[in-house]
Amino acid sequence: MTPYSGPWTAVEAAHLLRRCTFGATFQEIEDAVNAGMATSVNQLFSPSLTDDPLAYDTAEQIVNLGETWVNAVYPQDNTANQQTEGARMKSLGAWIAKNLNQENLTLTEKMLFFWQNHFGVTSSGDARAMYQYLQLLRQHALGNVKQLVKDVSVDPCMLLFLNGSTNTVYSPNENYGRELLELFTVGKGPQLAAGDYSTFTEQDVAAAAKIFTGNIVQGVRSATLNQVTSTFMPILHDNTTKTLSYHFANQSITGNGVMEYADYIDVVFNQNDTALAICRKLYRYFVNYEITPWVEQNVIADMAQTFAANNFEIAPVLIELLSSEHFYDISMRGAIIKSPLEMLLTMLNTSETTANFDLQSTYQIYLSMYGLADQMGQAYAAPPSVAGWTAYYQAPAFYRLWINSTYIKKRFDVANLLTSNLYNVNGNVFKIQVLDLLNGLSVPYSAPQVIDDLCLVLFPKDIPAADKLLIKNILTNGLPDFEWTIQYNDYLSDPTNPVFYTPVESRMQAVLNVMFKMPQFHVC
Amino acid sequence: MKRRSFLKNGALASLSLPFVQNGLSMQAVAKKLFDVPKSAEDKVLVIIRMNGGNDGLNMVFPTDQYSELMVQRANILIPENQILPLTPAVGLHPKMTGMQTLFNEGKLSVIQNVGYPQANRSHFRSMDIWTTGALDINQTSGWLGRYFDSAYPNFPDDYPNVDYPDPFAISLGSEVSTTCQGLMGNFSHTVSNPFNASNLLLTSVTNDGTYYGGQIEYISTLINQTNEYGQQISGAASSGNSLSNLYDPNNPLAVQLKYVAQMISGGLKTKVYILNVGGFDTHDAQVDQNNVSEGVHADLLLRISDAVSAFQHDLQLLGLEQRVAGFTFSEFGRQVASNGSFGTDHGDAAPLLMFGSCISNGIVGSNPVIANQVNNQAGIDMQIDFRDIYASILKDWFEVDPNVIQSLFEQNITYYDLLQGCTNSILEKDPSNSQGALVYPNPSLGQHHLKFMAQSERYEIFLIDQQGRVQAKVLDQHLIQGEQNLSFEVHNLATGTYYYLIKSLHYQELVGFQKQ
Repeated sequence: MTPYSGPWTAVEAAHLLRRCTFGATFQEIEDAVNAGMATSVNQLFSPSLTDDPLAYDTAEQIVNLGETWVNAVYPQDNTANQQTEGARMKSLGAWIAKNLNQENLTLTEKMLFFWQNHFGVTSSGDARAMYQYLQLLRQHALGNVKQLVKDVSVDPCMLLFLNGSTNTVYSPNENYGRELLELFTVGKGPQLAAGDYSTFTEQDVAAAAKIFTGNIVQGVRSATLNQVTSTFMPILHDNTTKTLSYHFANQSITGNGVMEYADYIDVVFNQNDTALAICRKLYRYFVNYEITPWVEQNVIADMAQTFAANNFEIAPVLIELLSSEHFYDISMRGAIIKSPLEMLLTMLNTSETTANFDLQSTYQIYLSMYGLADQMGQAYAAPPSVAGWTAYYQAPAFYRLWINSTYIKKRFDVANLLTSNLYNVNGNVFKIQVLDLLNGLSVPYSAPQVIDDLCLVLFPKDIPAADKLLIKNILTNGLPDFEWTIQYNDYLSDPTNPVFYTPVESRMQAVLNVMFKMPQFHVC
Repeated sequence: MKRRSFLKNGALASLSLPFVQNGLSMQAVAKKLFDVPKSAEDKVLVIIRMNGGNDGLNMVFPTDQYSELMVQRANILIPENQILPLTPAVGLHPKMTGMQTLFNEGKLSVIQNVGYPQANRSHFRSMDIWTTGALDINQTSGWLGRYFDSAYPNFPDDYPNVDYPDPFAISLGSEVSTTCQGLMGNFSHTVSNPFNASNLLLTSVTNDGTYYGGQIEYISTLINQTNEYGQQISGAASSGNSLSNLYDPNNPLAVQLKYVAQMISGGLKTKVYILNVGGFDTHDAQVDQNNVSEGVHADLLLRISDAVSAFQHDLQLLGLEQRVAGFTFSEFGRQVASNGSFGTDHGDAAPLLMFGSCISNGIVGSNPVIANQVNNQAGIDMQIDFRDIYASILKDWFEVDPNVIQSLFEQNITYYDLLQGCTNSILEKDPSNSQGALVYPNPSLGQHHLKFMAQSERYEIFLIDQQGRVQAKVLDQHLIQGEQNLSFEVHNLATGTYYYLIKSLHYQELVGFQKQ
């Protein structure tokens, strides 16, 4: 791929950060400009850790509120057991939203969601298993994809989700083997003959089912086991030799017990189709929905080559892509419609708005954020199917599936809520910290500059000057620019005085309310 | 002074209705002819926001203190002989001839020295105070938003619905009105052009052929399709009418008020219209140095006066005068003394103008007292609290329960008599006021008679069919008090039921007959 060698200005830096994070501040964009492209891209691969989710809902009956439940048993009593699971799933949902909101400026959260979409796992009845699974994705989010697929294959949550936990030599279950081939690795091509999907056949599905036999899952909502675990039981494993189809050169997988699944995944990753399929998904996630023949030849092929040459480490592929001429091509800017989470989190993260209240209020607010994204079509822990969200794969609409008449109304409702003072949880008002946003801009006392900066942060492309004037008029309430300067300076001189900050805040809320409802905000 | 005592009928009698209109609009007019405001539900309030801080002393002049004004603001003060007199002590800016006429017709109130205690001279803070209707810094809902919340709970979730298909308020332009901010949503819907009200977008969206262009075009199409009120508004505007030829198409406020007239006459049930005029922040060059009667402020006042008088004229022609009232406000007045730049700086209280045929009084409150020496930075002291004006409007116009009104405001309300000019003059409200209209013989074949008691004022009588279509305007003239006995020829009418609609400013009655 041709490396990008054009100018490195705020426009390019903002493009990089918009595509790689859930919202960057104006200052972070400026920092990226100063750091240069190479450093900025490399910094996106810094590790990103998270705290454990905490119990906050009184339905939790084992651990104290404020403690984590991820290593705690469940109550014996059936009702109490269910109530506790409800409380833990709420905690997990809030924790997911909190992590997205409090992300470092790295690719971790973005890639974590990529994998969540890639494997399409829905929680299977134990919040601890879902938590472990998400932590597994996090651990490998920017790491080795082959290892990730191996680990996911024997993860308790996945075993429960795609029937791996009941896949035995006595009754092989094809569910996981099929999805591994069709969705997670080589992908499905055109049907060449009955049972032949260009990249694999039904013979391979049957072989894979046998290869993955033998794992059992223990501890689901257990009153005695504090973890959900998977265990390989040799007696349940089909240790015969499996023969793969001609797509795999009729290779044989010899019985190898607990390590057999890993042998098989090595074989699957040796198929060029695996690298191509994953790279196409990465391309759709980071660049554009349309894969033209040119892109296939010049971008996807290069990505796949890099991927394979680096033993399926993801970082080299992404670094190459995010440093390429193609990624910064003007025609790629604004091609993606923001997912609900990208839209919602951008509203918050561009001002570093976080919920920092008491435990209950904070978790309730984050659970609401999780719920808002759900209402707009993106429940993080419950993809619509194992294939993930349709917006990432359903041709020809792709990203347009994020928006319909119901969802756009909901997006506007969210904009109204977060730019108001109306969202009150236990007396804590959660709203976009518009003053922080304003103070972080280059020249907050200059009305035209405020609008320029906000356009840079929120819109993928510059908008016409006449449109900026309309927005500026909302900021200044139609007054001459100097009146805004006076008002802002009054506020700066006495920043804690509500008589000064409230009007500045309400003007900024009005501006953001309008900008959030512009189509340009919903693309990135 | 009650409005009737200064009513000038001459101006009304000289107007005639251009009634040859296309059928659709005609129906809308006919519909409205029946539409006597039976209840507060039918009342419409128009709010004109003068943004930037209007120099009240250059709009309404306390002419009894002209020499004091000369001490304070000689470089901008309009010559005494050019000021338009309203009363011996009060005058208007010379550009405001339209509003002077309205005043003389009993359709304009000047409410003096409106403000609030401890005035704040920040545009932004003071506008928030005026729009929330509260001095409390923590109040974030608007005064009308609070009223709407009390009257129409569960907004926005339960709206629009069958009973309330239209937006409660319309903000002309691109920004929803803070005045209409409710607890869970904003009751105002933005409309730039009611004939294309499906367009919710603030800014331009063009598909430049790129992926980006395709995406934003797709999103903007969906945004506009989602506009639940768009069709209602466009439908009303296109079936509505505007009959006045006084609107100046180059006056943005006039254009917008014409839209308002079209929406009201088209049957839109919207209760509040909010319009915005900017440019009142006249720190310098408020007046033309060479001719102080001209300049930026003069142009703005001309626009407002002309637009409002055209609107009022239109409402009269449309038979809607008794349903509509309006007022202007600004975040503050300006200082008494002018500055060296032929301008004025931020001040305190200022007069507020109220218009409509239902106003109660010409002048509310007394003239401000102008000091005879310059006191730097002095503004006009508040005499009337703007929150009491709001409360009085809710009471007089929307007939809100005073207990409810008190719950919407933080101050102990003092009510002013503002919009009671029509209250006792509508027939339907007071059956004893019936003027006993009668058609005989009924059923009718050829010539028949219409008998009723008239007051001394202008009357219009329309012949209307059962579908509400105006067949003819059979009378338009000033009548002398006493029993009228008019004869009409109806033998050309098709068989069926018909009505005469008898209308005057204070009286309206419908009387039916059968044509055989």
